[in-house]
Amino acid sequence: MTEKKGDRAGVVQGRLKDRVVLRIRAFEPYSSEFTSEQIGVIADIAEKYGSGVVHVTPRQTVEIPDIERSTLSEIESLLDGHGLAPGSTGRYLRNVIACSRWCLYNAVPVSDLAARLNNLHAGSILPGKTDISLSGCDFSCVRSRTSDIGVIARAEIELTDKECKKCSLCVKAPLGCQVDAISLSEGELAIDADKCVRCGFCSNVCRPGTIRVKSTSFDIYAGGRGGMRPREAVFYKNVGSEEALIEEIGAMLQRYAEYGREGDRMADIIEKEGTGFLEG
Amino acid sequence: MEREEMSFDLEMPSVGVIKGVLAKDIEVVGEKVVNLRTCARPYRNIYSVAQLRTIKNVIERYGSGKVHLSPRHNLEIPEVRQKDLDRALKELYIAGLFPGGAGTSVRNIFTCPHWCPKAVRPVQELGMMVSANFADRDMPNKVTVSFAGCSNACSRPQNTDIGVIAVGRVGTGSSGCPDGCTECVEACPFGAIERAGRGVRINDKCIYCLKCVDACTDGMLTVEETGFRVLIGGKEGSTVRFGAEYAVFAGDFEVLEIIERALSSYLKKAEFRPGSAKKKERLGEVVERLGLEEFMKAPPA
Repeated sequence: MTEKKGDRAGVVQGRLKDRVVLRIRAFEPYSSEFTSEQIGVIADIAEKYGSGVVHVTPRQTVEIPDIERSTLSEIESLLDGHGLAPGSTGRYLRNVIACSRWCLYNAVPVSDLAARLNNLHAGSILPGKTDISLSGCDFSCVRSRTSDIGVIARAEIELTDKECKKCSLCVKAPLGCQVDAISLSEGELAIDADKCVRCGFCSNVCRPGTIRVKSTSFDIYAGGRGGMRPREAVFYKNVGSEEALIEEIGAMLQRYAEYGREGDRMADIIEKEGTGFLEG
Repeated sequence: MEREEMSFDLEMPSVGVIKGVLAKDIEVVGEKVVNLRTCARPYRNIYSVAQLRTIKNVIERYGSGKVHLSPRHNLEIPEVRQKDLDRALKELYIAGLFPGGAGTSVRNIFTCPHWCPKAVRPVQELGMMVSANFADRDMPNKVTVSFAGCSNACSRPQNTDIGVIAVGRVGTGSSGCPDGCTECVEACPFGAIERAGRGVRINDKCIYCLKCVDACTDGMLTVEETGFRVLIGGKEGSTVRFGAEYAVFAGDFEVLEIIERALSSYLKKAEFRPGSAKKKERLGEVVERLGLEEFMKAPPA
């Protein structure tokens, strides 16, 4: 794949003729967060080169509007050394997003994984726009099910022989099971495997340790899309470890880059022919 | 510089009932911490430099030096020490940043930025009006409202409870298309436009995105009128549902009226989910149960 002429990553034409919008993404320490130092740098740039405001995008990047095109190189040098870089546009892989590390529902915190994927694959030019979204639980606040590649962390739970104290914390609102998969009828703790979304949250509130997490894994969904023709992703495969996930996503991007024609989003291919081409 | 205890006489809600203070019963270096979700009020989809600097100061002084960008324009400040919460809230308050956008309420309104050259019609003011009227209002379950200025729909209005997309109707009155020109036909993502004689014809697949008008270099296609498509009942998360179209070419005030009606219907008509005694239906589930027409009928007074 060659770079299109005039294609500059992270720069979008604004409404005014000579003004552009610069999209900024974070690489270090996380792709889904900014540190206070980074916020300071962005504020300084918006004040000096922009119009004093920034927009927060749904892909966890920051956009600074009303920048003069001629000052772009100067701004880019200011970003160096702060873990910031111009964000992605066009056929570049978009910022890899993740839900918050401190959310109570996380089966596995995924911010580190997102940052790793971001560092590994940022700058790859693919056949079409590609989104990767990582969610720590089934509720998928970062919209894993409408991304080209969506990851949802799962925690398989099991009941141990430690005696249940019948505190019903895992059943009642607000901390109890969000999908009503746990029941405590006649003093017997039961988990409905059909309803369980494997977020593992119940193991956090269980003080005696009757419920515990057996194993964690990641479900990979592929072929979702937002925008003009939204489409829900299909389940692709489950992988057992973080290393396997990193490897699998690398392989998926590789095969997509080889197989897709220019302009085809991963979702377009999967819509027509299914996920077969990802298997290699 | 050591700061003295500041004394403010601001009317602040008491901690524990504030939406956006996400409780977390963990201890970091021996101190109880909470996570704060903040949004700019009155609603804006942009943050000013002053607000960014306030955030910077707050996360340095009271938090863990990091801020998370949520997919709904919120800035989340993790690990604010419980004992500093009041002071952190006050500093944010002065900069026009408020905790919010959490729980079973109307979440932060989402609009695309005003500088995008693709916008068919501006949506930021509408978003602000909806925010002023409904933001953080209690609802049976979470309600998300998104506005998109064009059919590219970056703010994903199809996957929100109430989604509004600016659209335009194409005028095909002209009859001077050059022979063999298919620029608009190729640009249409839906196969909704075709050549017919010296002009073009548009079929019923059209979703009024105006891509064809952008593509036409001969100025043969015009924009006849613009308005808003309103989609109701979408969601995203554990399950994905795409909103059903309730109106096309609605005007600004009509959109506000539809949103108000949808929210008051939802308040009156939502029930507990089948088999659950604690979770109420999302707006989309009520629509599915009652049908869109029935749902949107004005609720009995």
